Order: sequence, then structure tokens, then C-alpha cells
Amino acid sequence: MTVKWIGKRMMMGIIVLFIVSFLSFFIMHAAPGDPAAAFYGGNAQTLNAAEKERISRVFSLDRPVIAQYGTWLAETMKGNLGVSYKEGRPVSTILMERLPNTLLLFGVTLFFIIIGSIWLGTTAGMKAGSLWDKGLSTASIVTSSIPAFWLGILFISFFAVKLGFLPSSGTGDIGGEGGFTDKLRYLLMPATVIVLTHVGIYARFLQESIKAESRNYYVTVARANGVAEQVIRKGILRNASIPYLNYIGMTIPSFVGGSIIVESLFSWSGLGQLTVKAVVTKDFPLLMGGILLTGLIVVLSLFVIDLITYSLNPRLRKGDVR
Amino acid sequence: MLSVRQLSIDIEGKPIVRNSSFSVPLGKITSIIGESGSGKSMTVSALLGILPPGAKATGQALFYDKNLLTVSDKEMMEIRRTHLFTIFQDAANSFNPSVKMRHQLFEFSGRKSGDTNEEFRLKMEGILDDLGLAPEIMEQYPFELSGGMLQRCMIACALYMKPGLLIADEPTSALDMVLQKEFIGLLKRLNEQHGTTILLITHDLDIVAEVAHDMVVMRHGEVIETGSVTEVFDCPKHPYTKLLLDSRF
Amino acid sequence: MKSRKALTFWCTILGIIVVMTIFAGFLSSYEPNDMNLDEVYTSPGESHLLGTDHLGRDVFSRLLEGGKVTLTVASISVLVSLVIGVLYGGISGYVGGIVDTVMMRFLEALITIPSLIIILAFQAFMQGGMWSMALIIGVTGWLVTARIVRSEFIRLKDAEFVKMAIMFGTPMWRIIFGHMLRNSIPAIFVVTLFNFAGAIFIEVSLSFLGIGVPPAIPSWGNMLYYAQNDILIGAWWIGVFPGIMIFITILAINFIGEALKDPERRRLDA
Repeated sequence: MTVKWIGKRMMMGIIVLFIVSFLSFFIMHAAPGDPAAAFYGGNAQTLNAAEKERISRVFSLDRPVIAQYGTWLAETMKGNLGVSYKEGRPVSTILMERLPNTLLLFGVTLFFIIIGSIWLGTTAGMKAGSLWDKGLSTASIVTSSIPAFWLGILFISFFAVKLGFLPSSGTGDIGGEGGFTDKLRYLLMPATVIVLTHVGIYARFLQESIKAESRNYYVTVARANGVAEQVIRKGILRNASIPYLNYIGMTIPSFVGGSIIVESLFSWSGLGQLTVKAVVTKDFPLLMGGILLTGLIVVLSLFVIDLITYSLNPRLRKGDVR
Repeated sequence: MLSVRQLSIDIEGKPIVRNSSFSVPLGKITSIIGESGSGKSMTVSALLGILPPGAKATGQALFYDKNLLTVSDKEMMEIRRTHLFTIFQDAANSFNPSVKMRHQLFEFSGRKSGDTNEEFRLKMEGILDDLGLAPEIMEQYPFELSGGMLQRCMIACALYMKPGLLIADEPTSALDMVLQKEFIGLLKRLNEQHGTTILLITHDLDIVAEVAHDMVVMRHGEVIETGSVTEVFDCPKHPYTKLLLDSRF
Repeated sequence: MKSRKALTFWCTILGIIVVMTIFAGFLSSYEPNDMNLDEVYTSPGESHLLGTDHLGRDVFSRLLEGGKVTLTVASISVLVSLVIGVLYGGISGYVGGIVDTVMMRFLEALITIPSLIIILAFQAFMQGGMWSMALIIGVTGWLVTARIVRSEFIRLKDAEFVKMAIMFGTPMWRIIFGHMLRNSIPAIFVVTLFNFAGAIFIEVSLSFLGIGVPPAIPSWGNMLYYAQNDILIGAWWIGVFPGIMIFITILAINFIGEALKDPERRRLDA
């Protein structure tokens, strides 16, 4: 059962990546200039006719688009994503430089959002009708209505410009000194902005599912029979966490979208900032690479979330669809 | 054992149960009978302190010299934990679907008497075997078992705990005929072998006739007749009870 | 009762914002694009209600004009997603069977791709103006609408009155439009409302990144784009006011949507 389920999920992930790759290819195809230029960027002028001829053959440019896509896909799978127009370096190298920063921001913010929303959502959800319960419902709508990057602008103007104790932008590795703690100082503002604007809405979702779960029959039965409140709560939380995880999975794509903008605002040198830069400078190979890698991150995160859900939900494991 | 005096229940000002009095004698099976909406299930909720929000109960329900309607939450918890056990109507939904039966059965029984896991396992397996359930069900999830099996699991906990008072709220209405008979047999056995006092809520006169010693007839939120089953069956006083008995034959 | 009052309040707020942006020309005493290099970075005060920016343009006038642009882009894109979503979801839900399965699998795949990524990709070679951007936001924003329409259609297909209509031989288009679509309107309205908030978010984000609405046209996002530099020299008003407008608009939409969503469940909660 487990193998079958994992296989099914992986298929889904592969289909998603397939669509993303097709999109990337479409961009390259629609990009101005000939594909050799698109692939080799600024170096294209230095190629002589024979080399261009060779490239054309390698990329099957004389064959139908679909065949071209096939060749391109094969190249991509080998890790050959072409060369950046602007920097003249292989796209894969540039992406790998940026990846750790993005993963750091993504991981740290997601971690605090999950911890924070579990704490807030549980406190509010377990006390239906209390001040906590009503307060969180409103607060979550308010905080999720604030554009994260605008909050970022306010933060910069206050903490960096006015008080001057936090760096306004960057990743902290320009000077080279300071190392990890220095990086944390740079991380503080972008991470806080993302966490503040997201934690409420996730907490609210958990709160609602806890409230719904608490209305279940088995909760009354357990309570009437003197089962310890702690045990009952643990059971409720466990069941409520399944829709909650599902919700995290559903919102991961827009969450990633949101961090792209925050990265750009704080010049956090991650994938998001890179992708936006690639759009502005029309650096197509780099843009494609950024899109593909972002897609991969999303697909992998969803897979991890699916795995957790699967392990929490015995019905899925037992293949029971009642 | 349990003595209910002048119990009234309101939900947001609307009376559900009015001035109801009855008692449950020690070691006997007492049955509350009435059609749905007669207030019998609400009475149970009031006794257990699990009334829905907005509902208020007044009167007295003495159990071990404590008024169940006024005791503190903490005392109520303690009473539920040690002296009461309640079997509900919908066995299929009485367990948390994503927790293994072993853990849930333990929380319903062994945990309360402070038994270790091993003690619990040995004792519970014996009881389950007695009830015709394989020990393997301990490692299964509720959705893998049938309603009848789950209801027997509930009985198993009652057998394990030997509560002062067992409340069974329409325990058989979700089961088919054969299982119903079997379940009623189990209740009877519990009462005869262990002397457990039982309060059985039902709408089925046949069940009352078969197991109960005393009966309480409820209608429209009021107790209209009480007495021993033989008395009431032989000479019902209230016209509604007569009607009820007539319709049976 | 309380929720009705809240609904009226937030509808009024949203109404005021919309009306103010529509009549931007009448309400402001300056042209939104008029530069005045003698009056750059004027703080909010009597001559300029909300101050001026780095080119001496009146922030208040630009705020209203920018609102018009932002809300127009969002409205058009929401309309586009509405049409696509209703068609896709309607076909999937009405036809059912294997078509439904395939269409939904495809949708599930699309939904996992961050829409901002797709939009970025398009923006790279469309070098869009206002209209093309509205179109792109619309083309990428129909997924949730389609999902809702599909589930509504599946629910309604089993409804008694639809079965009756089929039995009486009502033509298919009348069943689809007259019965099913009409009864899905409440659900579609709510999701479209949230979509509208989403579209504002995306327009603002893109323009903020400098790849949205062309810089010559004022929009809330564009204003924030320039504000990034202004804020470093202490001209806080240029960035604060557009943000407040975005915030209040989205807040109003969210509260309205929240009040309209699932009245059944709200009643139970009360």
C-alpha cells in the first residue's frame, strides 16, 4: 500500500515538473533571437559558423518544436541549463550559489510559522468562545491583509533608517567577515516580515479544524467517561493536524511566491531575487533555471508534507476510503 | 444508588425536561423508556455533566451523596473517572478514528485503575476473549472494526472497570437484530455476575421486558410512571403507558 | 446581527475607496503626473495633503489615480479568471467521469506551481503594458474558481430540481445556465471576491518589483517601488500611504468575504 501511494504521489510531482519545464522551454522558444544566442548568451558572437551549426544540430533546431523540447529536456536533466547572458557563467553554478540562502530563509520562516501557528491555533481552538478564540480570528484576517513587502518597507524605515541597528538589505556575506551570526542579523528582518504576515492565517486554520474536531462524537464519549483532558486534546490535535498540513501544502506555492518579493526587497541573494533580476535583465537561461529550481523546491516540499500526512493518517495507510 | 429529584432542563429558556424524579436502586437494571424527544437522552447528559452549551439543569441527582448537578468540574471528572461508565448509542463514532484501539481501551479502563501496560494487556485480552473478540483488535484502528465489535469493546471497558453505575444510552439502536440480542445478553450477564447497577435508556419495550428490573416512562420531558417492570406491565396506570404496552402486543 | 453590521461597515469602506478612485480627477487639485522640481519631498501639509515625491508630484493625486489603475487591473483580471474558471470547472463538473478526472488532475498539477512564477515568466518577454498584465493575472488566477464551480456543479447535478428539469426535457443550456450556474452564484461570488484581493496583491507585488504596470502609469505598486529609495532618505509618506490603501482595501474585501462565506456554519458557531 505504502509503495503504491508513494509512487502515485511521485508521479504527480513529476507531472508538475513536466509542466514547469514545458513552460520554461516555451519562454526560451518565445524569447527574441536565435536559440544558440539564447543558450550561449553574450558568448554567442564569439561562436563561428561551424560552431553555430553544431549547436543547431545538438538542439535539433531543424526538427519540430516537440523534438527540440525533448533534446532540451535531456540536456536539462543532465544539469546543463545553459549560460547566463549577463554573467557568462553556467546557470547551474549560479543557482547553486543562491540555493542555500533561499533554503535558509524558506526553512527558518516556515519553521517559525508552523511553531507559532500551532501554539496560537491550539490555544485559541481549545477554548472555543474565549477572548483568544475571537481575537485570533480577527487578528489573522488583519495580518494576512498586510502586503509582506510593505511591512518590510516600514521595517526598513524604522529599524534600519531611523534606529539604524539592523542592516536594510543584503545577505551579509559581502564583507566576508562575521560569518553565520552576521548572516542572522541580515536574516532577521526578512524572516520576521514573512512570519508576521503568515502566522495568523495558518493559526486560524488550525483553530477552526480543532474546533470542528472537538465537536465530534468521540470527544463527548471520552469526556463523559473521564478520559484525561490531556489525552483527549492530544487526540483532537492529531486529527486536526491532518487538514492543517493539507492547508500548508496547498498554500506552499503562494508562500514561495511571497518570499520571492521579500527576497527582492531586502536584496537577500536567493533564488527569488535572482529570478526577478533575470526578468528585469531578460536573462532567459537564468530565468528558466530559476523557475525550474523553484518548481523543484515546491514539489519536494509538497512531497514531504504528503509523507507526514500519510504517517499521521492511518486511514490513508490502510487504504480505507470510508 | 442514584436518586434524581425534580430534575428540570432548559435549553436557552426552552424547557426540555420538567420536574422529573426517579431512582436507580443498587444492583438492579433500571430502564428509562420513551420515544425520541421525550428528554431521556438529555437527562443522561445532565447526569454526566455534558449538557450542550446554553443548557441548564436544576434539581437534584444524588450519587454517592453528591449532587451531580452541582458538583465542581473537578469532582465531576473524578466521579466519571472512577464510579461511572457510559456506553453511547453510536459505537462506530465513539472512538478516535486515528488512534489504535489498544491506546483507547487503555484510556477508558486501565489508566483509571492505575494498571501498568502489561497488567492491562493481560486482563483486557481475557475480557475480549470472553466477549468473542480476538486480541488482534488491540492493534487495529476503529474504522477496521464493525459497529457491533466496537460496542463490545465498550462493554469490555465496563467489565474491566466494574463501575458503580453503568449508563447505557440506546446502546443497541445502531446494531442489527442479532447483535442487539447478544448485547442485551451481555448487559444482563454484567448485572448478574458482577452485580453492576445499570441505567439503560431505550425506546424498545422488548428490551425492557427482557432485562430491566425497574422502569421509568418518560414522555414530552416528564416522568409519567415509575415502578418495577412486572408491576408496570401488569397494571399500567398512565394512559400513555397503556397505549405503549398495547401497541407491543 | 453583529456580522451584518460589520458587513455593512466594510462594504461602505470599500465603496468609498472605489468611488474616490473613480472620481480621482475631481477630488485632487493636482495632475497626478505633474512634476514640480521646486517642491520635491514636501512633507504632508496644507499645500499637498499627503506630500510630494522625488519629482514633486502630489502624492494624494497619485494615490487616487494609482488606485484607479490597480483596481482596474484587478477587476479585469478577475473577470478573465471568472470566465475561464466557470468554463473549466463547469465542463469538468457537468461532464464528469474520465474527463473530470483528467481535468482535475491537470488542475491539481497547475495549482502547485506558484502563479507568481508563471507571471514572472510571461512578463519577461511580453514587456507588458497595463492590459496585458491584467490578462496574465487573469489567465493564472482561475484555478480555485474552477474548483469551486466544479464542486457546486457536482452537488447541483444531484439536486432534486435539476433531476426534475432533466426529466421534463429542459434543454441542456437552460439547465446549465438557468439552474446550475444560477445556484452556484453565492459560492462563485465569494471565491471571486477573494480572487480580487489576490489580484490586487499580485499587481502591487509585480509593480513593486518594477516589472508590472509601466513606470509611467501610477499604481499603488509603482508608488511603493519608488518609495524604496525615498524611505532611505526619510520620506516616509511616499511609502506609507499607498500601503495603507492596499491594506485597507484588502482588509475590507477579506472581511466582506468572511461575512458572506458559509452562512450555515456561522449560524452554528454563534
